[in-house]
Amino acid sequence: MQQDTVLVVGGGPAGLAAAANVNSAGYKAVVVEKEDVLGGAPILSGYAKLVPSGEWAKDAIGRMVKRVEDDANSTVHKSAKVEKLEGEAGNFTATLTNGESVQAGAVVLATGFTHFDSINKPEWGFGTYEDVLTTTQMEQMVGSGKIACPSDGRVPERVCILLCVGSRDRQIGREWCSKICCTVSANLAMEIKEISPETDVFIYYMDIRTFGLYEDKFYWKSQEEFKTKFVKARIAEVTASGDGRLLVKGEDTLVKRPIIIPFDIVVHAIGMDPNADNPELSQVFGIGLEKHGFIEKAEQYTNTCGTTRKGIYSCGAAYGPETIDDSIAQGAAAGGRAVADLHALVQKAG
Amino acid sequence: MAIHEKALIEDERLQQHDELVVDGVDVSGHWNTMIAPRTVRDYDDDFETKIQTYTGAENVHRCWQCGSCTNSCTMYAQNVQFNPRYWIYLTRLGMKEELVKDKDIIWQCVSCNKCTNICPKDVKPEGVMKALAHWMEEEGITEKTPSSIFDEEFADQIYKTGRIEDGKVMQNFFKKTGQPLLQEWLKVFVFRMMKHLPVKHLMAMGFNTIHTPRTKSWGKTGDVLKSYVREQKEAAHG
Repeated sequence: MQQDTVLVVGGGPAGLAAAANVNSAGYKAVVVEKEDVLGGAPILSGYAKLVPSGEWAKDAIGRMVKRVEDDANSTVHKSAKVEKLEGEAGNFTATLTNGESVQAGAVVLATGFTHFDSINKPEWGFGTYEDVLTTTQMEQMVGSGKIACPSDGRVPERVCILLCVGSRDRQIGREWCSKICCTVSANLAMEIKEISPETDVFIYYMDIRTFGLYEDKFYWKSQEEFKTKFVKARIAEVTASGDGRLLVKGEDTLVKRPIIIPFDIVVHAIGMDPNADNPELSQVFGIGLEKHGFIEKAEQYTNTCGTTRKGIYSCGAAYGPETIDDSIAQGAAAGGRAVADLHALVQKAG
Repeated sequence: MAIHEKALIEDERLQQHDELVVDGVDVSGHWNTMIAPRTVRDYDDDFETKIQTYTGAENVHRCWQCGSCTNSCTMYAQNVQFNPRYWIYLTRLGMKEELVKDKDIIWQCVSCNKCTNICPKDVKPEGVMKALAHWMEEEGITEKTPSSIFDEEFADQIYKTGRIEDGKVMQNFFKKTGQPLLQEWLKVFVFRMMKHLPVKHLMAMGFNTIHTPRTKSWGKTGDVLKSYVREQKEAAHG
């Protein structure tokens, strides 16, 4: 009976949406998640309030997790990976690392992304100075309800967020825009100011890409209501000032002058890398990767949920940097497409 | 090493020495010219708020640097150094030194308001230009404008006497702005008045200019008024 089952790899927003859609069509979903909790990056990295809903990640994603876990047609394997996949569209057998075997007619790869590791941009101080953080760490700080310098616990007078860390940077082989960091950073600036009104937040940018409806809701609002200052500059390095603060060095490209500005906390707006497991996933599932290392789409317009292998679908940040909302939409689409193709297969055979 | 962007070296940063020793090495002669660094080392966090206290500049924090103001600017068409977008950016970050460098052109805004009409974020750049010009005047960075001098003379007379004497306002205004007391138009004006011989009126004017009467029971009203105006100014601009 594998033709009534869809194997969903990855239990983040996209995978949970795929599984829910498979279930709602009356099909069975088997979710395989390598970590020991469902929810994906928003839960694993401890995001605070999500863009654009403003809802806490644990509440919003929690509902998605509950919807899948409560469905009798869903089976969840946590702390497990797919080790081997045999068969073809309509008749796959997957062997999991926990020893289980799953029969499924289709596979949805909702394997997401890996956060850029700021260690790969050493000149910007991450890993060297305690008060240099990533956006995910800052999200966690916001979640804790207190803004303080990790080094000595003082309330920061000034925080700066550096955009495009691990994005749009040929030097380190990241030639893509991670799409959501501008909006997330504007949102983070507002959250910091909300918790700590005496802290001034600066955002260092080369372009601001708060696309679509994020423009006024995040970019404008952070400027107009929360007095976030946007500085157009290229950053060279982050060093220590000697008096416990950090110095951000670079060039203000509008004023055409070098800058060395003291800050208390420096935040890296880290981008989205292809999932570090993608080479392995490519081998196990026999699918192609596009030139940046994300999963390759079958066809841009007529098979948007497909991969280079029939019967295997993908969605969300596995295809490239993606927002949570669009990952959910794509996950739902991939689940739907998998079910539709299985249905057609059964009709044809019957 | 060749200097590629000579335009970025302002004269005031050139330091020439007749004799110069750097780290124990005598570099007098050919290497005697040094250029002071142009690094920005801090922002003045309060400056934007300060400028926002001037009428018209309240929305300066909304600017996202699109450049529509400069692009539409009447003055920019005359002089590309006249760049409202740039001054708004400097205001936002509190780069006062950079702003002061342009003190001799910021006031040239002709208030055509094309910038204000085109601004997608409703920053009202014209208001910002006026605010900056006023701030510079109040800080003594630029000289007082004739209109400020006129206003002061006008207010001073009110404080003192509770009234103004046209002739005296004019006389002192011309004096303070270094203009000849006997203006051509004034001659024509007086001459035409004489033709109608309003002797009584002319005598009254002449008398008042010398005598300076006060409004009845003006008492300390002027002092009170003066301190009220000062308080209002301080409340607005700190």
